[in-house]
Amino acid sequence: MKPRGYRLLPHTADIRLEVRGQDLAGLFATSVTSLFSLLTDRRRVRAAETRTLEVSGRDLEDRLFLLLREALLLFTVDRFLVRSARGKMNRSGVRVEVRGEAFDASRHHAFREIKAVTAHGMVVERIPGGFAARYVIDV
Amino acid sequence: MQYHGVSLNKLSDIMWEIPQAGGMRVPGLIFASEAMMGDILKDEAVRQVMNVAYLPGILRYSIGMPDIHWGYGFPIGGVAAMDLDEGVISPGGVGYDINCGVRLLRSGLTVEALRPRLPELLGALHHGVPSGVGSTGFVRLSGPDVETVLSEGSRWASSAGFGTDEDVAFTESGGKYPGADPDAVSTVAKKRGREQLGTLGSGNHFLEVDEVMEIHDDEAAAAYGLFIGQAVVLIHSGSRGLGYQVCDDYLVTMAEYMRRNRIELPDRQLACAHIRSPEGERYLSALAAAANFAFANRQLLAHQARETFLKVLKIGPRDLGMRQVYDVGHNNAKFEEYEVDGRKKKVLVHRKGATRAFPPGHPEIPGEYRKVGQPVFIPGEMGNASYVLAGAPGAMRLSFGSTCHGAGRRMSRTQAKASVRGKSIVQEMERRGVLVACASMKTLAEEIPEAYKDVSAVVDVVHEAGIARKVARLKPVAVVKG
Repeated sequence: MKPRGYRLLPHTADIRLEVRGQDLAGLFATSVTSLFSLLTDRRRVRAAETRTLEVSGRDLEDRLFLLLREALLLFTVDRFLVRSARGKMNRSGVRVEVRGEAFDASRHHAFREIKAVTAHGMVVERIPGGFAARYVIDV
Repeated sequence: MQYHGVSLNKLSDIMWEIPQAGGMRVPGLIFASEAMMGDILKDEAVRQVMNVAYLPGILRYSIGMPDIHWGYGFPIGGVAAMDLDEGVISPGGVGYDINCGVRLLRSGLTVEALRPRLPELLGALHHGVPSGVGSTGFVRLSGPDVETVLSEGSRWASSAGFGTDEDVAFTESGGKYPGADPDAVSTVAKKRGREQLGTLGSGNHFLEVDEVMEIHDDEAAAAYGLFIGQAVVLIHSGSRGLGYQVCDDYLVTMAEYMRRNRIELPDRQLACAHIRSPEGERYLSALAAAANFAFANRQLLAHQARETFLKVLKIGPRDLGMRQVYDVGHNNAKFEEYEVDGRKKKVLVHRKGATRAFPPGHPEIPGEYRKVGQPVFIPGEMGNASYVLAGAPGAMRLSFGSTCHGAGRRMSRTQAKASVRGKSIVQEMERRGVLVACASMKTLAEEIPEAYKDVSAVVDVVHEAGIARKVARLKPVAVVKG
């Protein structure tokens, strides 16, 4: 696996992901884009609009969990699809700037319904050459 | 039998005890045959049964049903009853899809008579019943309407003309959980759910026409109005985005509560609060509201199915005879009474992927069914079979009035998809005598029959354990998949 990107890990009922990044900012940004890769073909999403997600949390897992919750709401409430993301860490949290556009059924195909990002077995850890995170998405 | 160094005690051919160890407050209990235990021990489900046993106030056993599989926090197919004073409520013990459940409608028609019209009927059902991601319902709800749906459940739907009083009477809890408070449901949750009332959803949700293939229990089948060859409609859906968001919102509230009260558990997703705490009580009133949304949702889907049958077949309601057998949820938490340590006691039962199964004589069952027990519906793999069961006395003694809820997955979604690559699953199903219409081919590939355990084996275990009795076997003939 590349230093950046995501892959699916085995899980019986839901989707379990491993995401990697060269640094924490990259890891958080890739976590957001991988969520949208599960939802749609991101190559068909235009980077027309910019939105900002900002969360704070007690530890890295907490921040990742809260960030992914916010990211999912972009789609479930605002019907917004993400093409790309850029992350920035600050003292108590993380800020991710995403670019994308509103869902348009004539151009975008929604693969599946994502109910939620769960906190089950959520891990953020250092690996050689960067960071990795694992978590489960309820579909 | 061993699981990561833990020896399971064999209580009988179909009951396995996980001894109390570490922070477990009670032992674990799994209903499964020896053969099924092979699949069960493969993933994290047994670990999750053990984790649930850590919850404060859990009574007697952390229970796993034969369709148990790896979930998040609680296993899917898990049951946990809590003491009201010492115990906790855990949103993860109910699941995101609050009051997800199954409804069965019977008809006066046979599948034989219907067969020439099935392709047309399937097309019309697929068109008439909104499914898939981003679909919106055929009902437009105003702000005040949403509040009424949340407090009244199925009763809102029938009074708005989407069903009958009879439908409501043949729904678990009369289609309405008591204690629902719309104010406990966030604005985001209401927004997420508003447009989705009357939609099927995606994933393993479906609406299908089945044929009654076999009757196992004549008396119960007669009470439920079932006969061999009959065309029936099975609907599986839940509380849609509204329920998911309620669960998500309260997991954050509960994580906060746990930190404040220094409750430590082996998995973040088990986040909980004491039943008697303000946080616990508020979640329970939000849960009731979301459960009511799910009842109303299935009521609208049933209404659409009926209307579609009438339109396609061009017959009157009397000839169609489509009446509700029952509607029962399998993701919930309910206050119920059981005998614990020789005393009658009110407890809170979490059921996550487990169905309430009250035995004959239970006061909460509609009078028409009281002699035979509460109907339970167990959807199986798409190509194969589904079952109608009746609650049995063993459920009150062994499983806090609960039984299984489905076949249970045995293959991950990625595995399932890899195994059908290059094959046409729609054609393959047609070869097996099942017409399928779906919103997403991706989802359909994840739902191939091979991805699930054999539902008949699951049902045999609960039948043998005496927690539910087999009444009838159904076979799908036309399926709309979300």
